[in-house]
Amino acid sequence: MSELPPLSGSLPPTNEPLRIAVRRMRWFRAAFDAYISAVGARIGCTYKIDEAKLAGIFVRWLRAVEQQKPGNVKDRHDYFEFAAGLMLRELTADMPVTLISAPTKAAAASAAAFWPEGYACTMFCLAVHSAAMQQEFQDKPKVSPAIDDLRHWWSFKENARMDASFSVGFLLTLLGHQPNWMMPDVFRARLREELKGS
Amino acid sequence: MSNPSPLPDPMPLRDALRGMRHAMRRGGETFLDAMPVDSLPRPVAELAGLVLREVGEIANRANQVASGFARLALGADPKPHGSLHLLAAGHGDEDAFAKGMYAALRLVLRRLHAPSAYVSETAARSAYLALTPDQRLGSQPSIGAALSLALVEAKVMRGTSAADAAHVPVGSVEHMAIFAVMLWLQSNRSEDQDEAALESATDLAVALAPEAGVAFRARDSKRLETLFAEFASHV
Repeated sequence: MSELPPLSGSLPPTNEPLRIAVRRMRWFRAAFDAYISAVGARIGCTYKIDEAKLAGIFVRWLRAVEQQKPGNVKDRHDYFEFAAGLMLRELTADMPVTLISAPTKAAAASAAAFWPEGYACTMFCLAVHSAAMQQEFQDKPKVSPAIDDLRHWWSFKENARMDASFSVGFLLTLLGHQPNWMMPDVFRARLREELKGS
Repeated sequence: MSNPSPLPDPMPLRDALRGMRHAMRRGGETFLDAMPVDSLPRPVAELAGLVLREVGEIANRANQVASGFARLALGADPKPHGSLHLLAAGHGDEDAFAKGMYAALRLVLRRLHAPSAYVSETAARSAYLALTPDQRLGSQPSIGAALSLALVEAKVMRGTSAADAAHVPVGSVEHMAIFAVMLWLQSNRSEDQDEAALESATDLAVALAPEAGVAFRARDSKRLETLFAEFASHV
């Protein structure tokens, strides 16, 4: 497990706890714009963001998070991870980012060069998740070596195209979990799966 | 000595000036867009083109005069602020509400790429005055819903062109703009976040247009109230 690439500082400041701010459209949009632009600068490409799509994604994500919110506070930590996966699901289901110019600073065999749009959205979800976890639980999440394995990214891109729920499982894999691939976007199912494995 | 007679109500005058500006702009555009010059035979087309350019310049000059006069008489639009609860609870605040609505709707229409639609301050004031005392004492979402329907009823927006409507993928520009401003008025925001919050409320209104549109068309106050309650804290 390793640290996230150092782009968390690209998130805009807020006086509110991040778990509240991320559920406000104005912060979410500012954070997404700033982060995607920072990823573009790092890998040498230019992205364009469809703001209307982003608003639709935000609405669907809010509702999905609300719908599966667990009643037990003990599940809160796990639910933070799951919510980040749901965000990636919505982003990949209706990709709001398009590439204007191809990356010039990314290694040819890297995820950033392979799928720049999917890479940027994944890193955004990880960055927001990491910042929120540090604030809420004083826990700095590490990412799995799978993040550097192009085979995972290839599988992610192919499968997410057919079924966006695969994105939740991919993000949880990056966070070091073994997702329930039958129903990766169902929180209860994931809990049961983990309890069976422990 | 008798008191000087009170000044006439300036709001209808402002509306009239804005209406004139709107008509000049829209009239010129419509006239030039509707001329089938390309389909005419060559010598006639050249002559018609010459005449149209002349007419276009006249329309342009008239628009500039009307716009300049309107700007001079109207002054700058006040920056809208305040919560819906405070606005609705206040007595005699109808003029402040109407001014704020006008300014906010103009900003929203610009973000919706429909800046030329006509907004009536007088209609906004009528909508505010149409609220019953019970409605004024309701929750923020219920005041928002009642005011939204009252604003549609009073025809706060008019003259939305086909070009304006084409920029909006689903639903009506009018419903979307009113929903956005009402959602924004219910949001928790500081004054320095006013504009960013209004942009976000507009984006949310576009995303929620299919649901809000159904509620507006059915004049379903409860449905609008539910949407406001669900999203006001997420602007």
